[in-house]
Formats: sequence, C-alpha cells, structure tokens
Amino acid sequence: MENDELDSEEFEDFEDEEFTRDLVVPGEILTEDTENFLPGRGTILNEKKNKIISLNIGLKKITKNYINVIPLRGFYTPRPGDKVIALIVDKNPVKYRCDINAKDFAILKPKNTFKRSKIRTRGAEKDIGDTSTEKYSIGDILITKIISADRLNMPELTTVGKYLGKRSNGIVISIDTPKIPRVIGRSGSMIKLLKNLTKCHIFVTQNGRIWLKGEDLAHEKLLIDAIKKIEKEAHTVGLTDRMSEYIENEKKKRGIN
Amino acid sequence: MTLLIKDEYPEKLFREDGKRLDGRDLKELRPIKLEVGILNNADGSAYLEWGNNKIFAAVYGPREVHPHHLAKPDKGILRVFYRMATFSVFERKRPAPGRREKEISMIITDCLEPVLFLELYPGTSFEVFIDVLDADGGTRCASTTVAALALADAGIPMKSLVTSVAVGKIDGKIVVDLSGVEDKAGEADLPCAITWFNEEISLLQFDGDMDLNELDTFLKLAKDALKEIYEMQLNALKSKYITIQEKYNGGQVKQ
Repeated sequence: MENDELDSEEFEDFEDEEFTRDLVVPGEILTEDTENFLPGRGTILNEKKNKIISLNIGLKKITKNYINVIPLRGFYTPRPGDKVIALIVDKNPVKYRCDINAKDFAILKPKNTFKRSKIRTRGAEKDIGDTSTEKYSIGDILITKIISADRLNMPELTTVGKYLGKRSNGIVISIDTPKIPRVIGRSGSMIKLLKNLTKCHIFVTQNGRIWLKGEDLAHEKLLIDAIKKIEKEAHTVGLTDRMSEYIENEKKKRGIN
Repeated sequence: MTLLIKDEYPEKLFREDGKRLDGRDLKELRPIKLEVGILNNADGSAYLEWGNNKIFAAVYGPREVHPHHLAKPDKGILRVFYRMATFSVFERKRPAPGRREKEISMIITDCLEPVLFLELYPGTSFEVFIDVLDADGGTRCASTTVAALALADAGIPMKSLVTSVAVGKIDGKIVVDLSGVEDKAGEADLPCAITWFNEEISLLQFDGDMDLNELDTFLKLAKDALKEIYEMQLNALKSKYITIQEKYNGGQVKQ
C-alpha cells in the first residue's frame, strides 16, 4: 500500500557510517586548518577566518574537504517538496489552517484539494466543491506535500498526488525531527526492516511525524517501542543490526509473530 | 509567636585558619552540578545546582510572538523570563515580577543575544524561562550559565556557549564566586560573563568600593574560574549522549 520512497537525497547525511562520528557542541573548534577544509552544514568560520567552529550539538562528519555537523537536536523548517503530516486546526470558506510542527501554521486552499478535471466546464457547470472548504473538517489528519515555503510567509500545502490525502485510521506518533533520517536508514534499509518484521504499514514524513497501521494493537505497540528506541540511540553505530535483534527478542517476549 | 531574625552579618568573613566561612579557598568555586534535557515538554532544558542555588531553565522556540506587536519583521526576538520562587529566599518573596527580576531578565537577554542568529528567524521569538527555586548569591551568573546550556540543548544554532561568574572583594581580599552572605556583607561584587567564540565580555556589572587598578586582577581571576565552569558545561551537554554511545560501542567512540 503506502510506499515510503522519500527523496533519498535528503537523507545522505546519515548514510555512510565509516566517517568520523565525534560528538561536538556549539562553539567547539572543529579544525584550525582552513586551507584544506571548508565549512559545511552546521558550521561557521570565525571572524579571523582561522578556525571552523560548530553551531549545533551533533556529530562531526568530514565529506571530501567539507566539515559538517549533523545535528542531534533541532526544529523543523518547511521546505518545498517535503511530505508532511498535517492536522487541521481551523477552517473558513476560503482556506484551511494546518499544524505541521513548524513555527507557522500552513495554509491549504480548496483548489489544492481536488484534482483538476480534464473536461473544461466553462464556469457554468462548475462543481461548487472546488471552491469551498467542505471536503475536510477540523481535526482531520492529512498527508500533504509542501508546494511553497520561505522564511517570511506561511507555507502552502497540497493533497493532490500519490499517497496524499486524508487518513481516517492508524496511529500518528511524533519524534525529534533530526532523527527522521535514522528511522529511514541508508537507502530505506531501516524502514524495510521495520515493515517486514512488524507487518505494519508506515509513512514517515520530514516534520517528525510517523503514520502507522498494523494488523493488531500488539504489532503497533511493538513498532512504536522500536521507533522510540531508534530515536534514543540515533547517534550510535550498527543500529540496523541491533534493531532486528531487538524486535525478534521482543516478539518472543510478547508472544506475537 | 513572631519569628525574630536579626538582619545582621558576621563581622569577619574569614575563619581563623584563613579560609572563607563555608570552608573555601580564595579562588575556589562552590560545587556545581549541571544536567540537560530534564523537562519533557520543553524544546530544551537544563538544571543547575551551584552551591545552594537551584535553578531550572526551559527554552521554547522558534514560535509565534505573543503579543503580536512585539514581533519584528526583519529578525527574531529573544525573551528571557527570570523568576524567583516565593520560597527561594528567607523572607517570602512576593510572586509578582519586581524591578530586580525585570532588570535581570533584561541583562540575561542582552548577554545571550550575541551568540544567536536571530536574523535567520524573522517574526518569531525564542523564549527562555528561568525559575530560581533556591537562591544564595550569584543567581544572575548561574542563570546565564544554565540558560546558555538550555539553548544548546534545544538545538538552536549558536556561535558558542556563554559562561558567567562573579568576582568580589571581602575583607580586603579578592575572591571568586561570592555566596549570599559574602555578597551582602562584602565590599565589592563584579558579575561578568564571556562569549567563547570571540572571548569577549558579554556582561559586566559592578557594585561596591574598589580601586580601578584592581580591575585587571578581578578579570584575570574571573577568566580562570570561567574556564573551569565552561568545561563542566561541555561535559554536561555531551554526557547525555556519550553514555548511550559507550553502552553500544564497547566503551569507545568509533573513530
């Protein structure tokens, strides 16, 4: 059913496990060799340009000649193209307002909730549903895609597209946003493992919310515990192997298969 | 029966063996305990025990500004709420924020602002709530130290941490980290804070009698103490993650 082929480019940061993974904190000097290294993500040059310092609490990673810091804590910043789970908190005849776990509410306009029909009706036979906010009600959970977002304006959403739309069943849980790439794993390895072992449908979105639905409550509980464990141990090595072991053990303990 | 407590301080602030009343040397700090990530519902949080001071700090943000007219269209704002609990001092403190609390909130805001990138978050606010549960001298320094830690725990991009300590003069001798009694009965008191990315002074207040020529000695002493506290801050931030790492990597971080 729901496939989770999220853009893998977004998650390159967590892919390679062979690089250095030192824990750094804000203000820590990463290197004083500014000739061979350049400041990458989460870093900055100091005023004299002789040191590269970290801006976040995170893990140091060197890619080619860039020094990056992969954050362990942080907040979600919407970007165009992200898939997010939204909760409708308010609506009026013109638009819905949605909570997407960012600093602003997002806007969903009714024209972005209907597929455009190929036959042109020339206005006269226009369906009234296209322009009014009757499709969803307050409290609905939607899987949406961001079509525009910047620093100043409210992000705009759409529900037209593959796997997008309202979810009336399942459970939504939220975890720390920077740990989402770890739940997906290297080219989706972790999420495949979770799906196969717990027989649940999962949809992971970039704003830190995860939709899941399993055969029964026992499987869903097991999956939630597993995701919480991934969140807690996101900065350790060899997590995928440890998770499969953990789920197998828990299955025996809880008596489910 | 009325409780009679005389508002008096000891005449001598040094014991006969040359140590301070609580048994410290001239340059010795009170014992410090730091912890991060203790409040679940805050975006970032920290707890500090510094001698008898007990302080919580919680950070929320970036989020919408209320009341809305305070929001700035070109940059975000940092708001600090320093509050003392009614039971934090000897005589019950009235819970309404007074002149002193508003002033300390303001100086902590000004002290922390240089390390943040507020221009990246226009129209939003970062809020720091500092609750003093127990006060015994030097709470403004302790609050600044713990607030910086909570901001780092929230994952807000920062140029560096901020550390703060007070230096003072009691009975003609220069000492580091004044306690409540020393603060009130001593001669001079100079709280100062440092931002580590450029090693600049971010907070400097002064109260009492002192020779201006002594200022250099004061600041030199302060810097040694600040370095000591900075190490503790770094350890507190890292230890939360390193304990989990060590559990699974066989006691060593993978190189």
